[in-house]
Amino acid sequence: MYCIEAKSLSKSYGNVTAVDSIDLSVESGKIFGFLGPNGAGKTTTIKLLTTLIPTSSGTINILGIDASRDPLGVRKKIGVVLQQPSYEPNLTVEKSLEKYGMMWDVDQKTRRKRVEELLSAFDLKDIRKKKNDDISIGQRRRVQVAREFMHDMDLLFLDEPTVGLDPSARRGLLDYIKGKVRDGLTIFFTTHILEEAEYLCDEIAIINHGKIIAIDTPEELKNKFGREKTIKIHIGNVENLSSILQGVGSYEISRDEGTVITIHSADSEQVLVKILQVLNSNNIPVDDLSVVPTSLEEIFLTVVKNSDTNSGVKT
Amino acid sequence: MHPIFRLVNRNLTISLNMGFVIWQVIFPVIYIFVAGFAYTALIHNVPFGQKNLDYPAFIASGMIGFNIMNSTLISGIIIWNDRRHGMFEQILVGPFTRAQYILSNVYTIGIIGLFSAGLITAIGYPLFFKSVEFNLLTVPLVVFASITGAILFGSIASIISTRLKSSEGFNVIINTVFLFFAFVSTAFYPAQGAPPILGTAFYLNPLTYLVDVVRAGIFGNFTGTVGYEMIVLVVAAAVLFGIATKLLSKLEI
Repeated sequence: MYCIEAKSLSKSYGNVTAVDSIDLSVESGKIFGFLGPNGAGKTTTIKLLTTLIPTSSGTINILGIDASRDPLGVRKKIGVVLQQPSYEPNLTVEKSLEKYGMMWDVDQKTRRKRVEELLSAFDLKDIRKKKNDDISIGQRRRVQVAREFMHDMDLLFLDEPTVGLDPSARRGLLDYIKGKVRDGLTIFFTTHILEEAEYLCDEIAIINHGKIIAIDTPEELKNKFGREKTIKIHIGNVENLSSILQGVGSYEISRDEGTVITIHSADSEQVLVKILQVLNSNNIPVDDLSVVPTSLEEIFLTVVKNSDTNSGVKT
Repeated sequence: MHPIFRLVNRNLTISLNMGFVIWQVIFPVIYIFVAGFAYTALIHNVPFGQKNLDYPAFIASGMIGFNIMNSTLISGIIIWNDRRHGMFEQILVGPFTRAQYILSNVYTIGIIGLFSAGLITAIGYPLFFKSVEFNLLTVPLVVFASITGAILFGSIASIISTRLKSSEGFNVIINTVFLFFAFVSTAFYPAQGAPPILGTAFYLNPLTYLVDVVRAGIFGNFTGTVGYEMIVLVVAAAVLFGIATKLLSKLEI
């Protein structure tokens, strides 16, 4: 069952098309990653899906509700952590959580219980009595994300929730999200940190210039776009290496402590065999050999670059 | 609880801190007790209907209107802070409509307006109790002035908060506009005897009408003119509230 279904979704501001006829289907109980460069249309898409702004065209169905007909009905069932900070400057951390729960009509007993749980889960106990104005940006972001778990929801939109968080807080948040998904929550997640998307997401869409340019599971994206493997060969310092390796294919040489030959192409294995043959025939020993797995970051860069090339944008 | 009351609860929580209450008390107390007694040497009596009010009684009653106006700045500040700190968008992706957000601000300023009027009535009562003429219209007139004035000045503050983008601009405009309202009015001094241009300017200012209605209630001086002033207040409050609502509902996200 899909909890988000968007068809031919578009949003224009004058002559500028921020979101250009995209189709999205997000399965319930999954974490859906939504990636793209700055200004690609991620936040506008979230604002459309959360009914914050009206569509120019297209349809949105959230949790079985037509968003154009019953936007309030949609908002009652979702949670949203927007990209921009949001806080009440003169409330304490615990009061912020408590009041947010009250705004969502959560009963007092449940509110008290959840405040304690979230203060622990988000490592906010030490600053519970501090005002939002007096805490750091990262702590404020943690409060903002924690606050959203004060109320029940079926679907949570997280727009770059880890911005400003230190690595430990970031990992804590990602693990907390994973736990919530195991309990049945669906997450729509945007980030610029691709390791996060790789760690967290069941499915990923990449948007560029308002269009979805790739959508699949992280593994399938790697299979589709990750044909270019990176292999590194470490050898000692060798003079005239370039002339020795002439004609074996595409590679790069870097010299730091010793010499590293990096092969990065779709036919890396063939180039590797040729280089090893040449090194062997020249009695050059190999100190180390490593294959660098294709990361989502490389896939992302490849897909976005291809998209820019196809749409005539200089990169 | 209804969504509007949940938002009112939240508005009151973020607005009513000790600093605000002190500000609401200290300002008028200084005006009433310092200016009131200091100016008594210059202004012995102020003619008001069939009565002659002493100046402390005159200014204390004027301070009720002044405080209603001052307290409704809260409305503009709530909207301004919500926009500045991202809460406006956050509320609108929550279980609320824009209409509910706007109405919650109206209720909030109404409550704060009544609270302020009650506070200053209590503080100023020792000064004007000799001249007070309680009748059936006293409470309705003061409540009417509190609510209409709160909506009117709250709408002005809301309009300013929706139109401006910088904190400096917001503070300068709010302070300038409210300074004009405060001192070009009959809150501090009577229109009679003022230079004609200033006297006319007094009656271009809604605070003058608000203060006149409050005084009419407290000193038992309800006349046809006061009735017209009430109509002006209602019309001005309705028009300004309409504009504020329109601007708020069109506010881009």
